[in-house]
Amino acid sequence: MFNFQFSIMKHYAGVFPLLLIASFCSLYSEHQSRDEYLKAYEQRARYETILYDTMQNPGIYGATVRYAENRDLAVADSLLLNCSQIKHPQGDMFWMYPVIGTYLHGKGKMSAAAAAAVRNAWKTYAPYRGDTENHWAMYYASLYLAAEQWRNLPGSEWFNGKSSEENLNDAKEYLIHWIHITTTIGQGEFDSPDYLPEYMNAMTLLAEFAKDPAMKQRGKMMLDYLLADFAVDELGGEYIGGFSRIYQPAVYKPWLSGASAFAYLYFGTGGPVQSGWTLLSALSDYRLPQIIYDIATDRSHPFVNKERKRIRNILRYRKEMNPPVYKYSYITKDYGIGSLQGGILQPIQQHTWGVRYLYGKPTSTIFGLHPYWSGYELAMFFPEERKTMIADVVSSKGTYNKDDKWTSSSPYERTFQHKNTVIVLYDISPGTTSEHIDGFFPKNLQRRIVDPSGWIMCKAGDTYIGWYPLQEYRWMQLKDDEDNFRLRSYKLQNGYVVEVRSKDEVGSFEKFGMMLRKHLPTAVLKPGAVSVKYTTLRGDRMFFAFPRTRMLNGKEVNLGSYKLFDSPFAHADVGSEKLTLTYKNRKMVLDFKKLSITK
Amino acid sequence: MKFLAVLFLSLFTEAHVVAQQTAVYAAVLSTKSFVVGGKNPMTGLFFQRPSDDTLWQHSGAPNVRVSGVAVKVEHPLGGKLLYLAAGNGVHRSTDGGATWKIVTDWRVTEVQWVTIDPRNSSVVYIATPYGVFKSSDGGNAWKEMSRGLEASHFISSIIVDVVNSNIVYCSTEDGAYISRDAAATWQRMGLSVGGVRVIAQDPDNPKTLAVGTEDNGIYISHDGGEVWMKKESGVDHSTFYTVVFDPHDSRILYAGGYVTGVYKSTDSGESWRRTNDGLTCLNVHSIAVDPANSNRIYAASMGDGVFRSDDGGAHWKFAGLRNAEVWRLAIQ
Repeated sequence: MFNFQFSIMKHYAGVFPLLLIASFCSLYSEHQSRDEYLKAYEQRARYETILYDTMQNPGIYGATVRYAENRDLAVADSLLLNCSQIKHPQGDMFWMYPVIGTYLHGKGKMSAAAAAAVRNAWKTYAPYRGDTENHWAMYYASLYLAAEQWRNLPGSEWFNGKSSEENLNDAKEYLIHWIHITTTIGQGEFDSPDYLPEYMNAMTLLAEFAKDPAMKQRGKMMLDYLLADFAVDELGGEYIGGFSRIYQPAVYKPWLSGASAFAYLYFGTGGPVQSGWTLLSALSDYRLPQIIYDIATDRSHPFVNKERKRIRNILRYRKEMNPPVYKYSYITKDYGIGSLQGGILQPIQQHTWGVRYLYGKPTSTIFGLHPYWSGYELAMFFPEERKTMIADVVSSKGTYNKDDKWTSSSPYERTFQHKNTVIVLYDISPGTTSEHIDGFFPKNLQRRIVDPSGWIMCKAGDTYIGWYPLQEYRWMQLKDDEDNFRLRSYKLQNGYVVEVRSKDEVGSFEKFGMMLRKHLPTAVLKPGAVSVKYTTLRGDRMFFAFPRTRMLNGKEVNLGSYKLFDSPFAHADVGSEKLTLTYKNRKMVLDFKKLSITK
Repeated sequence: MKFLAVLFLSLFTEAHVVAQQTAVYAAVLSTKSFVVGGKNPMTGLFFQRPSDDTLWQHSGAPNVRVSGVAVKVEHPLGGKLLYLAAGNGVHRSTDGGATWKIVTDWRVTEVQWVTIDPRNSSVVYIATPYGVFKSSDGGNAWKEMSRGLEASHFISSIIVDVVNSNIVYCSTEDGAYISRDAAATWQRMGLSVGGVRVIAQDPDNPKTLAVGTEDNGIYISHDGGEVWMKKESGVDHSTFYTVVFDPHDSRILYAGGYVTGVYKSTDSGESWRRTNDGLTCLNVHSIAVDPANSNRIYAASMGDGVFRSDDGGAHWKFAGLRNAEVWRLAIQ
């Protein structure tokens, strides 16, 4: 049920000088030609790998780098033979992918003893498959590659008793299935700043090492797909929400998420990040297509990106196993604001909506939520007992049942977004967990004004955020919030309107405030009848009635019409297995039916 | 951790030998600190002799979440046949636990329960959150058998009729179901409530069935599932994960569930009383009666291992597997 990640910060110790050097290389990417991009990419990749030359105990990745670069092979052998993954295997799929990745980088270079130790580990250590999409991606990609390497072995030579061929076929079937559902109805663990790395590592290894040309191509195409998915929702090295899964505190310190390391490596955006997550990518031959780089880094024109994903498998209380998730985001050169439709779309770590902006890292975000938890929610997605599951989850995700948590899905929350305006409504049942809603406002905002009109007006560099609470509230600063501000409202029928603009869009902050004062929402807030009417700063009329009536300028908004991708840069129809990327006069088509990439 | 230290000493040395003898099997789903990918205490299948007190040995993968176990002493391949219902599929051993194989593919996951047809050990059923699956060739090939279970694919338990192998029962989130054609098709039984967590059959009176439910207590039918009666006399709790009949005297039943401890009935389920003296964890997920000794009862707790009573449930003492969430017990 639970997950384990190693922190992006794990390898920071002692690398500050390197970080400074790299910061001169690429702090924030300017738009680059292919040659410029590749040259800068090599520098960033080198920045990721050089860490393992200077670490005192580089572990298995110290061996990986040396094997990959075909140097210091005796040292690499020693590092491998003495690493914890070989001497005391643990970690399940988090063990599998670095071990097989290291073996494949070292194959033909490592000593017979080192190779035998790896082979023996796949016989004697039994990694668990886990129960999440990222677990399975890592498990089956690694198992596939291992089974390809050691063909024709009987089950007695494998940890799970299956023969090489059985393992190969099982892994192949699952990987093809996962790619199929991802490219037809959307990824389940979608747009996750903290779980993108797991998929990247799994697909990187397939793209790099699969012997089967078709599987190798699938790996490469899924790397393109995942990075394109990121590129259309990225700003300054950070994913724009909502998200299926994100950890706390990364939810309010976006740069902590593993995705930022990949943004830095592939897009050159955000700050320099050295992370164990990106090592296998940095060592691989995969190169980001120029069109994805262009999409990720060209923020010269604001754009709307709409996506359809899927809810992870619902086990209980379901009408449909994988209902759709609808994501809407609006991204400019200064900020991005995005939302999911709300409701329970993922257990535990959902981030339903948020604004993120370039100013004020690390706490460069504003968002709100209803901090809900229940055995019912967990029982929807996990097979264990409903009444004891909360305690089980809390043992590894300690904030789950906390009133003050910053990640949550809620059945009592819904959103309606149009461009840079988001309306969020709540109709909370009495007696539910957390009879309040919270809003996160970072302490480093340049301005946070409570205007007599009711608008809370915030300035974050060149980004202006207006938040209109529909009910009375109070400001709090809780110990665990690191001095940031918490807006809390205890009204059960509740909501707010959020408007985001930039200096480029409206001029001064004062002018933004003047505009807001002329645009006040009107709301009905009764149990079972929660609605709001609001005319945006653009003059668009929005009407939103909880939970599902969304009207824009008098016309109902049909979320069901959402495509897998729909933006100026990316298009994919539901069921198509085809993603078309467009940038200016260039186009790239990923066709998973044909396993072809057309440029 | 004490039990782990002890079992390490004996692991892989005696396992095969001991498994050939009568043993108590405990399917450990989890421990209090279990995290996929983390450094976890051992989970999976543990077993002991009745005389082993708190000592248990382990067999198979040490970090697998196991929800169920089925054991068959004699089968065509000779040695003791074991199946585990696990999060990563069905594990099978044909040599008493010396070697194991995961016999399902990626399609089978989060297996909740495994049952061997008592009259044909080549036929195996599993209950999963994705429906019922059946193997007719000793676990080599599996086929989903969920026709009629569309209202809820979440299956928590499955049993084969004690007399007729064509009759199979299962518990689902939607209710209790029966198949009269060896799982080819399923029909909802007369039980009106959902959230059925477990189904059990009287070994002496096959028409008598009992279910434990989430929030709706215990129901018993004496006509093969047509008419069900809620048994409330003496019952102060509503969620039951296990109901078992004493194989020697099926008028005696035991039941356990969420904060229930152990309930015992001596009048075919008409009335119940709690019998928790010595139980330190009241979340009980499985109960097993020793077929060789009706007074020896085992209770599997959700978080503090196994408890044993040697006096028909009157008193309990800790029997090992500290901190373990034990999902199922089996005795052979």
